Amino acid sequence: MSQEGDQFEVEVKVAKMSELVKTMIPEEADEEEEAQEIPLPNVKSHVLAKVIEFCRRYAEEPMSEIEKPLKSANMHEVVQEWYANYVDVDQELLFELILAANYMDIKPLLDLTCATVASMIKGKTPEEIRKTFNIVNDFTPEEEAQVREENKWCEEA
Amino acid sequence: MLSPKIIALEEGWNNEIKAKAIDVLEEMLNNGFDQKSQRLFAPKEYVQTYTTCYNMCTQRSPYNWSEQLYQRHGETICDYLTKTVLPALRHQHNDFLLTELTKRWANHKIMNKWMRLFFMYLDRYYVKHHSLPTLDVAGLKHFKTLVYNEVKKDVVNAMIGLIDAERDEKLIDRGLVKNCVELLEAMGMGSLDAYVTDFEDQLLGSTKEYYARKSQEWVETDDTPTYLAKAEVALDAEKARVAHYLNSASEPKLLRVCEHEILELRETVLLEKEGSGCRALLANDKAADLSRMYRLFSRVPNGLPPMAALVRAHIEAMGNEVINRREARLEAGEKDSNQDPAFVKELLALHDKYMAVVSAQFAGNALFQKALKEAFVEFTNRDVGKFTNAELMSSFCDRILKSGGEKLSDEDVESYLEKTVQLFSYLTDKDLFAEIYRNQLAKRLLNQRSASDDAERLMIGKLKLRCGSQFTGKMEGMLNDLAIGVDHQSDFDQTVKEDKSKSLGKLDFAVQVLTTGYWPSFAAIDAHLPPEIVQCTRVFKDYYDTKNSKRRLTWMFSLGNASVKGAFGKKSYDFQVSTLQAIALLAFNADGDGAAPSLAYDAVRERINLPDEHLKRVLHSLACGKYKVITKTPAGNTIKNTDAFKVNADFKCQMRKIRVPMANLDESHNPKRVEEDRTVAIEAAIVRIMKARKTLSHQQLLAEVLSQLAFFRPNPKVIKRRIEALIDREYLERDPDVANSYRYLA
Repeated sequence: MSQEGDQFEVEVKVAKMSELVKTMIPEEADEEEEAQEIPLPNVKSHVLAKVIEFCRRYAEEPMSEIEKPLKSANMHEVVQEWYANYVDVDQELLFELILAANYMDIKPLLDLTCATVASMIKGKTPEEIRKTFNIVNDFTPEEEAQVREENKWCEEA
Repeated sequence: MLSPKIIALEEGWNNEIKAKAIDVLEEMLNNGFDQKSQRLFAPKEYVQTYTTCYNMCTQRSPYNWSEQLYQRHGETICDYLTKTVLPALRHQHNDFLLTELTKRWANHKIMNKWMRLFFMYLDRYYVKHHSLPTLDVAGLKHFKTLVYNEVKKDVVNAMIGLIDAERDEKLIDRGLVKNCVELLEAMGMGSLDAYVTDFEDQLLGSTKEYYARKSQEWVETDDTPTYLAKAEVALDAEKARVAHYLNSASEPKLLRVCEHEILELRETVLLEKEGSGCRALLANDKAADLSRMYRLFSRVPNGLPPMAALVRAHIEAMGNEVINRREARLEAGEKDSNQDPAFVKELLALHDKYMAVVSAQFAGNALFQKALKEAFVEFTNRDVGKFTNAELMSSFCDRILKSGGEKLSDEDVESYLEKTVQLFSYLTDKDLFAEIYRNQLAKRLLNQRSASDDAERLMIGKLKLRCGSQFTGKMEGMLNDLAIGVDHQSDFDQTVKEDKSKSLGKLDFAVQVLTTGYWPSFAAIDAHLPPEIVQCTRVFKDYYDTKNSKRRLTWMFSLGNASVKGAFGKKSYDFQVSTLQAIALLAFNADGDGAAPSLAYDAVRERINLPDEHLKRVLHSLACGKYKVITKTPAGNTIKNTDAFKVNADFKCQMRKIRVPMANLDESHNPKRVEEDRTVAIEAAIVRIMKARKTLSHQQLLAEVLSQLAFFRPNPKVIKRRIEALIDREYLERDPDVANSYRYLA
């Protein structure tokens, strides 16, 4: 049950991908057991729907391990087609998915969404990154110079 | 981005976490609950707390309460343990203490579990990033320092009290001990340290005391089999105890302590107990008790050697009794002969019996096989009477292998031979046995008394297996001579038939060629042969020389036999006789067609030219035996130089075919020959060793020679004489620089 109180019915096997949900399902529970209501007050309906979509897919075709560091800024080259398309969403939903994955403790989803954010940063200048995520540069020129100095090794590499 | 309202620390803690989760949890733990049907927190209640914690831990600093929550998680548990659990345990003792502890430990596990679930989010980031103990471990640690360390002494004492009670056959609550053991295991935090140091060490100590006392009781009141039966039951019970409620790692340690107290320390007393110790069990054939004794003492380091020594002593005593009985029979006046099958069978039976004991009761253990062997070596080499045991054994084989000896099936023959060979393997003088056996084999073969060629080969094969081909080479050679002999004979017959110049006259003539080295040495007797036979030997010699140019042919008339036809009145008879008897009979043939002559002893001797000792035996067999083919004047039972002989014209017999037996001319074996062979063997060994070692002290040389000689065990004096002989013949010299030392001379 989502924040708004919408109910989603999910098979035990799929639901158990969330470590949080798993703690609430008795260990011996299987598919025949009668449905159990599990409230998830931190997750909105449309996000939960999206999360469940991921879990269902994952139960059928597990996502390949994401190589680190990312080998490409293009998610299509990092994971299977379906998963790449899955995270091709607007930023707001992406961040909500990250929070939901963290809250519900779904490691593969957290990996995938974080990797997506990382791919958006990869190969970009600070200026471009600020633009991408709507961040206001609140450094003074002096501060910026110092940060650049401290991270010089990064650019040399 | 969504940003719910910030939760203040005390607000979140007091209103949510403490009020809705912790207080509820403690309440349920204190008042009890139905563990099976009821989940302590429904998902709805649980998620609420989790979400609060989650939110409090994900707020940006300075409102991130991870550190505070982690700390309060610990404090909550500690508080509960000191204020609620510990007081409940303080004044409890024995079973009650264990029962209470078990309950509190179960509660703690539940509390710890729920506390972990509530604060689960901490484990994921905060604990990891700060390298702290996980919530689970932290909870266990608190229990260990606050509760376990306080009560462990009393608890362990109570547990050991229960275990001792169970040993005394009282009914105890095993589950209680098992739960405490589980607690002890958990208190090791992933290792068995706590279990071992806090509990196991003490258990082993109390076990030692218990069985020291118990075994003292048993040893005073019980005989050995009863004691051992109790010991086995106790050991099995200890093993079961471990399986029921202890950690499986304790099994070897616990059993070791028991074995030490019950078996190791009592072994000598038990084994030697008057009337029920090891020898008494052996004497009374207590198979099951012996088995148990073996089983138990094989568990103890060095437990078997003392037992094996007693087994050896017992077998040796039994064997000596058999020898003593034979000695007594001989002293009582029984005729000493080289045949004493009853005695040999007794030894075989003894061997059978204890071999079976060794393999069935003592699991074929090498120590006991050795004990059996050493015991038999001890008494099978104790000869009493005129004949050595080697000769008695060989004669026993002779009886079995001879036609007309014992009536036995093939299987019995084989089994007797096998057993005798086993007995033989204990003899020190194996060469003596070989020599006697070879002589008896020669007689069997030449007199056609061997019952079965297969059995002969079987026996030789068995000897070969034990002693190597060097040992049986001659015997095999003998059998081979006979085997090729058949082919040679038919070849010879063929040659004679085709070549008219080679005539055997009217005789059937067969020759068996024996290779000199293989056969025992026979006395060569030079006799005057009748011309008919001389003719035959000449033909055969010519034939043989063309076949084998470099071989010398010597005739052994004493070994041959003949079939002679004699006409007495209207009846004629076939006499089966030895060659020498045949020659003697032919001497009485009428010269020309005159009447049968009467010959004086000297005349007979002149005609056939036999030495007195042989001639007398031949004539005795013909004139004084069962079939008197020749009459002697005067009549009597001994042959004298003054007697006169003539053919017994009145000879009559029911049978047409008659075997006329004759006393044997050769000694059964020549002890000198064994002596000579030994001399050669010793010298060869000395030379071989010195050639390899160049210089050696007397003692070293002696030791090496003894180790090299497999078939007999010479007296050191004899070896010394051989060394001296070799020095005389300049194979060795005394070392001029070192006393008591020899050098090899190339």
